[in-house]
Formats: sequence, C-alpha cells, structure tokens
Amino acid sequence: MSLVMDAPAAQSTTRAEASEKMSVRHLSFFYGETQALKSISFPLYRNEVTAFIGPSGCGKSTLLRVLNRMYDLYPNQRAEGKVLLDGENILSPDQDVNLLRARVGMVFQKPTPFPMSIYDNIAFGIKLYEKVGKRELHGRVEQALRGAALWNEVKDKLNASGLSLSGGQQQRLCIARTVAIHPEVILFDEPASALDPISTAKIEELIDDLSEQYTIAIVTHNMQQAARVSEYTAFMYLGELIEFDRTRRVFTSPEKKQTQDYITGRFG
Amino acid sequence: MALYDARRRRNRIVMGLCIAASGFGLAFLVLILAALLWNGLVGLTPGVFTEMTPPPGSSGGLLNAILGSLIMTVLGVALGAPLGMLAGTYMAEYGRYSKLTFFVRFINDILLSAPSIIIGLFVYEVVVVRMGHFSGIAGALALAVIVVPVVVRTTEDMLLLVPGPLREAVTALGLPRSYMIIRVAYRAARAGLVTGVLLAVARISGETAPLLFTALNNQFFSTNLNAPMASLPAVIFQFALSPYKEWQQLAWTGALIITFAVLALSTTARVLARQRIAK
Repeated sequence: MSLVMDAPAAQSTTRAEASEKMSVRHLSFFYGETQALKSISFPLYRNEVTAFIGPSGCGKSTLLRVLNRMYDLYPNQRAEGKVLLDGENILSPDQDVNLLRARVGMVFQKPTPFPMSIYDNIAFGIKLYEKVGKRELHGRVEQALRGAALWNEVKDKLNASGLSLSGGQQQRLCIARTVAIHPEVILFDEPASALDPISTAKIEELIDDLSEQYTIAIVTHNMQQAARVSEYTAFMYLGELIEFDRTRRVFTSPEKKQTQDYITGRFG
Repeated sequence: MALYDARRRRNRIVMGLCIAASGFGLAFLVLILAALLWNGLVGLTPGVFTEMTPPPGSSGGLLNAILGSLIMTVLGVALGAPLGMLAGTYMAEYGRYSKLTFFVRFINDILLSAPSIIIGLFVYEVVVVRMGHFSGIAGALALAVIVVPVVVRTTEDMLLLVPGPLREAVTALGLPRSYMIIRVAYRAARAGLVTGVLLAVARISGETAPLLFTALNNQFFSTNLNAPMASLPAVIFQFALSPYKEWQQLAWTGALIITFAVLALSTTARVLARQRIAK
C-alpha cells in the first residue's frame, strides 16, 4: 500500500516531513571488547516501515536489539550514544525496560509461541498490563488475532496449544501477541526467513497493514522483501550505516558504491 | 578391496565386543530381578501390607516399614525439592552468568556424588545428637539433603534447555523476569522438572545408610516423627542379615516391593521425559 502511495513524486515531499518516532544518535554497541555498531545515526519515521539490509554480521539484528534494550538480558553487552523514543533517551539507566518493551514490541526470526493455548498466548500479555473483564479480554484477543489475520483460522480452536499451529500461523500468533498490548513501535527480526513463500506473503501483507498504526523496523536478508514492504531502507555493512534513504532511491540509484554492489548481488 | 575387508572385520570385532559387554551387564540385572521375583513373590501375601514386622520366629508383615518409608520419602521430597528447584532456578535464570552460580554448581556436583553414609553421619551429628534420640524427622532431613543436589541439577539443566528465543520473546512483551520464569519457562520445562523430582524420589526410596544413622528402626507402627521410625531399606538390612527364616523371607519381599516401586517411578519419569522431547 505504501509503495503505491509513494509513486507520485509530489507525495514524497509531504512524507519527508513525517515526524520521527524514534531517533538513533551516534549509537555504538559493544559485545565485550568487540565493537558491533559504530556511531550509527538514523530516524524511524512515525507509521512508516524502515528496512535494514546488509550481509550477515553487519549489525542489523544487534541494532534492533538495542531499540528495545533486549541486550540488557546479557552481561558484557553495552550501548553508547542515544536512542530517543518520542524525544526521551531510552538508553538512560532510569528507563523502565519493561515499560519500554511494552511500547517497543518485537517479533523474532523463529516463531516463539508460548507453551500454552492460543487464547492464553494473547491474553497473557494483556492481563499483565491491564485489568480487563472476561468479556473485554475476549474482545481484545479476537481483535489482536484479527489484526494478525489469524482469527478465521483459529477461532474454532482457541484452546488448542499454540505449538499445534503451522510455522506461518505461529508467526502470526506472535505478531498478534505483540499487537495485543498496543505497542507504538514493532521491531521485526527477519520475521519470514523461516517460512514458506505463501506464509511470507501473508506476513508482508500484514506488515503493510500494521504500518498504518505502528512505526515498524524490519531486518531482512531478502532484498525483494525490503523493497516490497518498506518506505525507508538502511544499508549496513561491518557495523556501519552506509546509506539511509527512501527505499525507492536505495534500490534504484544508491549513492554509495557498496550499496550498489550489495543490492546487485556482487557481495554479501 | 583389501582395505575395505579389513575395515569390515574390524567393525565386526568392535561390534562383537560391544554386544558382549552389554550382554554381560544385562545378564546381572536379569539375574538380580529373577532372584528377587523368585524369592520375593513367595512371601508376597496380603499380610505383608497389613501386619507389623514380627519378632523372630513368628510371622508378620512390613506395614510399619512401608508406612515409615512413605512418610520419610514424602517429607524428604517436600523439604528438599522446593529448595532444589529454587536454587536451580537461580542458577539457570537469575544468576546464569554469576560467579556464585559457578561456585554453587561445583559444590552441588560434589554433593551429588557424596556417599550417602556421610550425609547420614552429618545429620546424626547435627540433629540426632542434639535431639538426644533417633527420629523420623532426622531420617526425612537426611533424605532431603540427598534430594537437594539431584533436584538442583535437573532443574538447572531443564531450564537451560528452554530455548533462548522463547525467553527473549517473553521479555520482548515487557514481562518481568519472574513472570517469564513462572508462567513460561517452568511450563516449557514442566515434564523435565517433574522427571527430576521423580528421579530424586527413586534415589532416596532405596537409601539405607542415612536412615540407619537417623531414623534407625522401629518394630512397631508409629507415625510419630519425634520417635525412631521403621523404613523398608533399614528393615531389609536388619532382616536379611538375621538367621531367622521368616525375617529373611520378609527381606526378600521388601526388596521386591522397593525395586518395583522404583521401577514404576523411573518408567513414569522416562515416559514424561519422552513427552517433553516429542513436543
């Protein structure tokens, strides 16, 4: 959808004024002594999809894991610089990481349904954040499953285990789970790389729909996917951000030679 | 071709040795079980489960011993398993990268292979001497000390098997760690955790040495934890060494009961463990 809207040139000027939901400034990241990100700066525009591409090990996933401070789980990992969410630095030690993660949701490469029923997979997160009645909870679960285009497939077996679903369905369940707690930003870490083409198409469609309400960052190895789903693309290489621009420009007339080489398949 | 034949020959020799070795080991197991069944089944009458251990020369049963074993085993697991699970949870979740975990794991491994007679002596010194007499509670404590390292180990191992991405997925929803552990990690590892506790039960239900130093034995029916308490292993130990025919028969039957109880527990544990893998 966003690709279609992007077509007229006039539109892109108004789009350029879109506000920054998140803003990464001079971000460096270290695994122990190894520097994985080197002073990276870029914006995530409100209600847009930003794709991160680059060869394996370039730091795309690391970057994503900074945006919700997932790296906090592990010792010897640290970030320097600033990451602003609505103007506030989330890297500050005062930041409540659980609240942050409720605002910045994440969907992983491999589907990770919780070992409980489909219904509980969704209800689990909602119940933690809000005191909702049974009926309202039911409505929220349905809404989330509809939002992830999964409702029609699971409405008759909500009590079945989340693990009983197919890979693609599991991944949409995970998206529904993330959407259910109403985040503001959703991070996708190669969400379709473990899925078949049909499931992949469904996920891409979903991401497109979700971008109307959410600010989205997606890491992908699949350049066609980046071209299809995103409005902006960041090309990363060896921990550096080589190029950040509108997806259309990155894929048709990249400024840097490295970008050109990568998207034409000369390396990576 | 000659090389190929030589390899095949070598393969056959090694395979032959392996089969012979497993046959050798298995033969003893079968002999033990056969002897147990042969000698134990004869005495397996309803009286075994309804009558007390008899004085020498008269007939009786094992009720007080079976009951004592049940009480001390249940109590030992009730005391030891929660402690072990909490420690294992700390090691796998909260303190996964801490030095304390490394240290505790090392100590736990030592404790895991400590001879149970040492644990019996330890509880004797710490509890029995202080109380001034043998007691059921001291027996249960000794068994609990044996349970703890087993459960610590299985809990940590099972929680470590819970995939990292699942953990991250829970965290990514903004759920605090306690939620992640209780609602997701425990659930994902449930079968393994239960298996660990069952294995601990199987381990302590045959322990004799720690009970001889703590609960001692009791000829009579007693549920008083503050008094000496009978147990199957202790009764078997005493009766098997005695010169009396009736006592020896009861020892065989008691051994049969313990063996099959442990076998049933292990089988259950196996089945549960397989279910976990199947998922």
